[in-house]
Amino acid sequence: MIELPISLIITSILGSMFAGFVCSTMGVFVVRMNLSSIGFCMSHAAFAGAAFGMMTSINPLISAIIFSFVTAMILGPISEKARLEINVVIGFLFSIMIALAFIFLNFIPGQAASGTALRILWGSIFSVGYNDLIILVLLSFILTLFIALFYKELLAVMFHRKLAESSGINTKLFYFAVLFFTGFAVSLSLRLVGGLLVYALIINPTSSAYQFFYDFKKILIFSPLIGIISCLTGFWLSLISDFPIGASIVIISAIIFAIAIILSPKRRRGNGMLYKKTIKAV
Amino acid sequence: MKNNTNVIDLENIETTYEGERTPVIRDVSLKVKSTEFIAIIGPNGAGKTTLLETINGLLPYTSGQGFVFGKKISKHRTEIRKKIGYVLQNFEIDQLAPFLCKDIVMSGRSGKIGMLRFANKEDWEEVWYSMGLVGMIDFAQRPIGKLSGGEFQKILLARALAQEPEILLLDEPFSNLDFSSRKQIEILLNRIHEKRKITTVMVSHDLSFLPSKCKRIIVMDKGKIIMDGKKDRILTSDTIDKIFHNGTGLK
Repeated sequence: MIELPISLIITSILGSMFAGFVCSTMGVFVVRMNLSSIGFCMSHAAFAGAAFGMMTSINPLISAIIFSFVTAMILGPISEKARLEINVVIGFLFSIMIALAFIFLNFIPGQAASGTALRILWGSIFSVGYNDLIILVLLSFILTLFIALFYKELLAVMFHRKLAESSGINTKLFYFAVLFFTGFAVSLSLRLVGGLLVYALIINPTSSAYQFFYDFKKILIFSPLIGIISCLTGFWLSLISDFPIGASIVIISAIIFAIAIILSPKRRRGNGMLYKKTIKAV
Repeated sequence: MKNNTNVIDLENIETTYEGERTPVIRDVSLKVKSTEFIAIIGPNGAGKTTLLETINGLLPYTSGQGFVFGKKISKHRTEIRKKIGYVLQNFEIDQLAPFLCKDIVMSGRSGKIGMLRFANKEDWEEVWYSMGLVGMIDFAQRPIGKLSGGEFQKILLARALAQEPEILLLDEPFSNLDFSSRKQIEILLNRIHEKRKITTVMVSHDLSFLPSKCKRIIVMDKGKIIMDGKKDRILTSDTIDKIFHNGTGLK
């Protein structure tokens, strides 16, 4: 371990905390709305976007956001209408995004830049700058506000979109809001976790929380909590072992998920039978 | 605006799914008066569900004119929906779905409560009342994925009732249920109609379960309304015999 200035460490710790928060909060909606494949595509689009930004020397964060939004705007309506097999479109877009990313990375000018380029592939522990941290905090705040204000609409849409629409909710608005925030969360966490792994941070903590709770509110509390724990533990693991941070975070979150599956009361055998009995007893 | 006593008023409605050419329902005219309880029957693929979803505007009609509460459906979709309770055909729900029954029932009211407003005491009272009406108050804290078919159907019904609807649209409320659950739902529908006098439009392909409060029957086949009249007369007619017993292979 090398000696590091304390301010750098604090920025990085806070950065990973908030990245964990935004990603795993969005995960709750992404998983429930079956948007996993769209989100997966968006995270790779953000990766291609960041590479594009580096090639053209514009802010990689901005180009990442633009790429991931354009993908969402293409995939969102397609999966809505279901006129085209969504998996085909995703397979197509996903490979194109990765191909584009590699082309852009290849054209990044100068030798020194290729190091930065590689960092967006697998993330870097100290890549979260002060400005990024401010944006992450801002996004966390907006996201919390959004969920608090529209909790009842979100719950209705998560349960069944058509039923929600039939009781007078504009479900399209919430569908695109979820895509929008996911794009933001992914683009902001990209530099920390890396383009190849950022998606695991969306799926793993949420999937772990889903193993334990039946109450949507509890999932909304515990998923971000698991996300934050994964990021902080991953950060620590990366510091002491020199593992890339993205890999450390993903490994930790995957271990938590595996433990959740094993311990899950929802999956315990005979649970269904027990439940039937209690219902009858009532 | 259209002023008359019909809560639902469809004139020569035609609904075509996006991207398709042949309409699913054609030339449908239907007038439903307040507090009526009607059943739309017909073989699978007759366009019954399409008709229901045209009424609450989930499917836009491609020609003709449709009014609900005297308001044009195509213009006032969202507003109309807040007063229409809809019970979807029994759908699969993931066993691990992270929702409690009370939250699902409350979600029926979310459109009515409106954006940027929170559920208050009266809203919850309405939720408890609806759950009590369908006899599911003990299930309030249960996860939705763990219910049986009949229990799930009752929760969906409570969800629609919590909305305090003026119209209730029910799509195959008896499908995928065993005999005793069907009987229970049938009794419930009668009781709800008696207590709340909600205009009810029910879709079914099963003639053996038509609640006694349902007095009027509409028969649909191949996207058109072919009969409309009193229950006893329709059920004993030759056309019913032809459609349900010989033609389509349904019972």
